Amino acid sequence: MDALLIVFASGLISLFAAFAKKPWLVVSSAMAGLLAAIIVIIVQLQTGKAFFDFLTYEGLSFDQFALLFSLAICVLSLLIIGIGYERFKENPTHTGEYIGLLMFSATGAMIMTAYTDMFMFFLGLEILSIPIYVMAGSNKADVRSSEASLKYFLTGSFATGIFLFGLAWVYGATGTFKLQEIQMKIEEMDTLSPILMIGVLLIMASFIFKIGAAPFHFWSPDVYDGAPPAVTGFMASVVKIAAFYAFLKMFALCFGQGELFLFWKGALVVMIIITLFVGNLSALRQVRFKRLLAYSSITHVGYTLLLFVSQVDFFFSSQYLWFYMFAYGFSIVGIIAVAIAVNDSEDRIDALRGLGKRNPFLAIVGIVSLLSLAGIPPTSGFFAKYILFSAAWKSAAWLVIIALINSGISIYYYLKVIVAIASPADQEQEKIKLSPLTIAVLVIALAGMLGFSFVLPLL
Amino acid sequence: MELLLFILPVFFALSVLIVPKKGVRAYGIIGSLAVLGVVIACMMQYSNDGTVHLFADKKDWLSGITLSFGYDGISLLMLLLTAVLVPLVLVSNFKNELAENRLFTSMVFFMQLGLIGVFISMDGLWFYVFWEITLIPIFLISWWFGAPERKAALMKFFIYTFVGSLAMLAALIGIKVNAASFYIEDLKAVVFTSKAACWLALGFFLAFAIKIPIFPFHTWQPDTYTKSPMAGTMLLSGIMLKMALYGMIRWMIPLFPEAMACIQYPIIVLATIGVVYAAVIAIKQKDMKRVFAFASMSHVGLIAAAIMTWDFDALSGSMVQIINHGLVAVGLFLAVEIIERRTATRNLADLGGFAKQAPKFAFWFAVLAFASVSVPLTSGFIGEFLMLKGLVQFDMIIGIIAGTTLILGAVYTFRAYQLSMYGPVTRDQFADLHWSELIVLAIIVIAVVILGIYPAAITDFVNPSLKIVLETVSTPSGL
Repeated sequence: MDALLIVFASGLISLFAAFAKKPWLVVSSAMAGLLAAIIVIIVQLQTGKAFFDFLTYEGLSFDQFALLFSLAICVLSLLIIGIGYERFKENPTHTGEYIGLLMFSATGAMIMTAYTDMFMFFLGLEILSIPIYVMAGSNKADVRSSEASLKYFLTGSFATGIFLFGLAWVYGATGTFKLQEIQMKIEEMDTLSPILMIGVLLIMASFIFKIGAAPFHFWSPDVYDGAPPAVTGFMASVVKIAAFYAFLKMFALCFGQGELFLFWKGALVVMIIITLFVGNLSALRQVRFKRLLAYSSITHVGYTLLLFVSQVDFFFSSQYLWFYMFAYGFSIVGIIAVAIAVNDSEDRIDALRGLGKRNPFLAIVGIVSLLSLAGIPPTSGFFAKYILFSAAWKSAAWLVIIALINSGISIYYYLKVIVAIASPADQEQEKIKLSPLTIAVLVIALAGMLGFSFVLPLL
Repeated sequence: MELLLFILPVFFALSVLIVPKKGVRAYGIIGSLAVLGVVIACMMQYSNDGTVHLFADKKDWLSGITLSFGYDGISLLMLLLTAVLVPLVLVSNFKNELAENRLFTSMVFFMQLGLIGVFISMDGLWFYVFWEITLIPIFLISWWFGAPERKAALMKFFIYTFVGSLAMLAALIGIKVNAASFYIEDLKAVVFTSKAACWLALGFFLAFAIKIPIFPFHTWQPDTYTKSPMAGTMLLSGIMLKMALYGMIRWMIPLFPEAMACIQYPIIVLATIGVVYAAVIAIKQKDMKRVFAFASMSHVGLIAAAIMTWDFDALSGSMVQIINHGLVAVGLFLAVEIIERRTATRNLADLGGFAKQAPKFAFWFAVLAFASVSVPLTSGFIGEFLMLKGLVQFDMIIGIIAGTTLILGAVYTFRAYQLSMYGPVTRDQFADLHWSELIVLAIIVIAVVILGIYPAAITDFVNPSLKIVLETVSTPSGL
């Protein structure tokens, strides 16, 4: 709860700081807020006690996992603000809005990790989404950015509508919004009521939409491609963390028993297979970098969804999810930093050529991020993927084999980008200068990609 | 002290990036000699009594992964091969501009790190991790410094090997879900039905068959060998494919003794087909590097077949041949490189007559060629003899077919030698050996001859460990 308030307050502060028209002031107040939130979360994880004990609300409970996922949200938001700073400061009059919206969106994400009540979940979802609709269109001079914003808004609000519709059915079947009570009501049922099943399916569809899995993925390539790179990074990391954990919490705890599990499991397995193949096969022929990332992130959603059908205990599956999303988030930060620094108006993969000459450090970060996305050891991406797969093997070995085949397909397009980075450019290009802030962020991301999995067991 | 095996390569790989350009050559060689020193020190301490464990701690580290590393005679021999070949590769590159390149030297050390890790991993997942780590440096070396038309071949190589490794990962996860941890003894303790064991063993086999390469998984190999720079080819054929042979001895067969019944025969047949097939193709090649690429495939196919017979003599013969092939392959590719440096071509039709102009080169190259066709008194002889003996015992017909490698090997090797060294003089001048080239050729040839006269140096060293591996598999508890 403390961290939530701190992030919200620093979002407000950065909005007001924008009056000074000094981008650094806005960014530093936001970053200070996030840092404070991170410290508070770590202290709370260590001691188990909140700073403001009296601030409790029954719709939100910051238990250990909510705190861990909030930590991931804060860390990744911090890193993304760090790499996006160069772009934000280009437009000093609007820096405050962007940063403020990003902070509010992070607040919504934290609410989504801590909800215990469908109503709070819906609030969190809206607080998360609405700022992103605006941020996706923040590059007003670019038609594609406006298109991304409109597309995301229309489809996103439609998905929210579906969620509410599904929630109404679930409410009709159980008569409550609270997760625990819904769970108890479902346990008491002798036979599953069809009303509940329709509701669960509708809610699942809205989740699938939010995380961008096939067959509800059509918005994501356009939106990822059109939105400014930092916003793309935010959507790929922070939004996914919140949506996935909320999804896992609702479906593993609430709808995860017995017959109901078997009921939605079948649908999800089909969607996983479609997602993996659609994401990978569409990515093979992309020439635009962020579009490629969009399809790659669709594939990663497919891998992550394996956790939902793996029948692992919630205690473990949320740990695995946390590790996976953290590892994935670090890689996204690294790769988005490359996209921002190269700053090609056409966003072609070929524009990455000669990056090794232009800035060797950035090239190394880019290559390591891609290796991590592809799941090649010794990066965290590999260990995270391995843990997911080995968790899913027991209940669905054949699904893991399909996922491994897809890893094999995906290596082609990651390799294409890696060799573009490693190849010399056709003509001389000017060197890229990184600001100290970006370098600091990239060092953290690099350490995360290479060392996170080695440090993790010590924690 | 064993930690130095990890620390030294990482240290040199990173520190070489800030060494001034002039010093890179010397720095690389010093670094690789330092690693060699550590390996020799490990060998001195090793007293032939089973496995030395590096970290005593076997507890679960991360989701079933343990920090178990260690070595026995087999691992030490592979470590020694790695540690000897890396300085040889660096020295043989001394005259190339490549050797001045920091990135190249750094990648060679990363490669060495991966290889050392593969050979001392006692944990399935670490084995996989290091196995994959070796892929990236070799890919980048070939990508950056290879021939102009390398790109398609290298993409194929990377994707091919990566997909093979994924099959191994699937198999590893498949055993792990039934085992306490990834520690090799825990994995060995799992008992499978013979059907499940076959599928899992096939996962390993796919990874190894692509790396070795065994027919019909070899299509990446000739192009990759030809398009890579010489150093890349040496690393690929000299050490990297030995990882797969080592993997068969250490992992594939001991983990799935139940699968031996169903995979033994098909693999031996495939490997034997590869032996003859590659040798026949090698005879018809125009490009000298391609001749030796196929020759390498032919030789290694024989080693793979011999390992699969799982016969004690054949195994110890294959250890001798692994060492021999590592040395000879590096030597032969260096000979090709020497010719290419001076004439800018590898086309056998354009070469000839160098024996008159460069007698020293002709001599050393000839000894290498003899070693390659396993003439007695070279280490190749004793290795191939023991392996063929094992194969004949296993199945007379297969043994005889595989035995044709001795004849076919002589044909393609001496054809390449004759067309390049004898015949009418084709070049106005052909400089004789540079000292760096001479050192490498001489070291290789002397080592090959010494091991040919006294192969017990290898076999005495590895036989106790081989016996242990063999016994654990054939005891009733293993089966």
